[in-house]
Amino acid sequence: MSAEVVIGAWVAVGLSLCMYSFLYKDNPFFKFGEHVFVGVSVGYLLTITYYQVMTNKLYIPMTQQGKWWLLVPAFLGLLLLARFIPSIAWLSRISFAFLLGISSGVAIPRQISSFILKQVEGTLKPVVTIGDGGIAWLTLAGLNALLVLIGVVSVLFYFFFSLEHTGTVRRVARVGIYFLMVSFGAAFGYTVMARMSLLIGRFDELMLYASASYGYATPVLLMVMIAGLLWWERGQSQKT
Amino acid sequence: MSDFVVRLLRLDRRIIFLLIALATLLPLLYPVSLPIRVSPEVQRVYDYIEKLPAGSLVLLSMDFEPGGKPELYPMAVALLRHAFQKNLKVLGLTLWPAGAGLAETAFTEVAREKGKEKGVDYVFLGYAPGDASAVISMGQDFHAAFPADYYGTKTADIPLLNKVRSLRDMQYVISLSVGFPGIDTWYVYGKEKYGFELGGGCTAVSAPRFYPLLDTGQINGLLGGLRGAAEYEILLGVKGKAMAGMAAQSATHFVIIFLIVTCNALYFLTGQARGRQR
Repeated sequence: MSAEVVIGAWVAVGLSLCMYSFLYKDNPFFKFGEHVFVGVSVGYLLTITYYQVMTNKLYIPMTQQGKWWLLVPAFLGLLLLARFIPSIAWLSRISFAFLLGISSGVAIPRQISSFILKQVEGTLKPVVTIGDGGIAWLTLAGLNALLVLIGVVSVLFYFFFSLEHTGTVRRVARVGIYFLMVSFGAAFGYTVMARMSLLIGRFDELMLYASASYGYATPVLLMVMIAGLLWWERGQSQKT
Repeated sequence: MSDFVVRLLRLDRRIIFLLIALATLLPLLYPVSLPIRVSPEVQRVYDYIEKLPAGSLVLLSMDFEPGGKPELYPMAVALLRHAFQKNLKVLGLTLWPAGAGLAETAFTEVAREKGKEKGVDYVFLGYAPGDASAVISMGQDFHAAFPADYYGTKTADIPLLNKVRSLRDMQYVISLSVGFPGIDTWYVYGKEKYGFELGGGCTAVSAPRFYPLLDTGQINGLLGGLRGAAEYEILLGVKGKAMAGMAAQSATHFVIIFLIVTCNALYFLTGQARGRQR
């Protein structure tokens, strides 16, 4: 195992344990990990942006392919930075206007087509189908389509505030609440699953780095962390 | 008895954290094989790749960063293994700046495992800035969108990209998405206009959002969370990271369900609910 891999493992374990120490309580180890994360993320992002955007998408096409017209978007991008100088901050509006105009023009028709028209099409599926064998009344697909239809209509009723929720409207809206509850439950279940997956992924790596080939990084740093927290806790109690 | 129940209800949250940690750790240390049923949405992605003729172009967009690694990295590895097994040509990129390193590692590792050559069997293009505009740009002129690959090689000099003009040349596009930009970006600005088939993989937390797209055929299949990755590994007949994590996943779910049911039962038994209503 190369030294850089082992050092990387020790850094990863140390920072993971710093972040997990928050489960005990807020402490200096957690704060250290949090600050390192913010700093490293920004640094990494800047480096990637420099090489992948400034070099690959701007410098190389201009110098090697003669695409000098790329100076126009580059200039518009620079104008955005004028926000930081109050006397010429108005210049950034040119770029913002360009961004807003292009984004709206591109996004609005596509979003309407993809997320409204296509979804309405999906909601209005036939409940009863007529084929060569006659009318198919109780198919699973038909039941599914009926459930989707009832769900969509009742939830829309729940969010329809122009009518007072009394009588039939109230009853339909109540059905909508049940559909919403089922959807929130499913979303929460998936959220739990996602968070547990993150924990499993982290534990998996912590276990890997606990081996002799990584210099027992996990057990050693865990002991150091526990000792550090005890020392910090003692200092806190002496202060109070 | 009542005092005990009240104390139990006021249990220090750190004990619950410890229970969850144990439920995660023990199955990882002592693996248990639990049956996993392959869902139709995962099967559809597998079947589509299975039916593609050798040499077909597949674009794998790894739209995630380290936060999504535990769920999406096993998916990426499984999909790459499948594509390389089928001798498909794979183009890789990411719409997330922090995802470039992870995506490159996945490509390099699986390519080495399957004996595939960079530039001939696969190309890793790196980070594509601009979200929607990146996809639109790829649709208009692929080489203009990527003048160079991740390693700085001019795309015009890469043999695999010789015949690629735009997204229309892709036989299949798969987006492994941790959020926006991701599957919806590829659908809205890519598939709708350029007509390629689109599959998706996502974190479990965002899976409910994509099921409506699956229902309407806007995406042809979906791998949801670690479970989706584990199902794909089953289809490939490989025991990977996702399958190893499924026992731990089930154990933690069991602990959470047990705690929710027990705490609710005790809450009502001790009459706290009635007290609160008054």
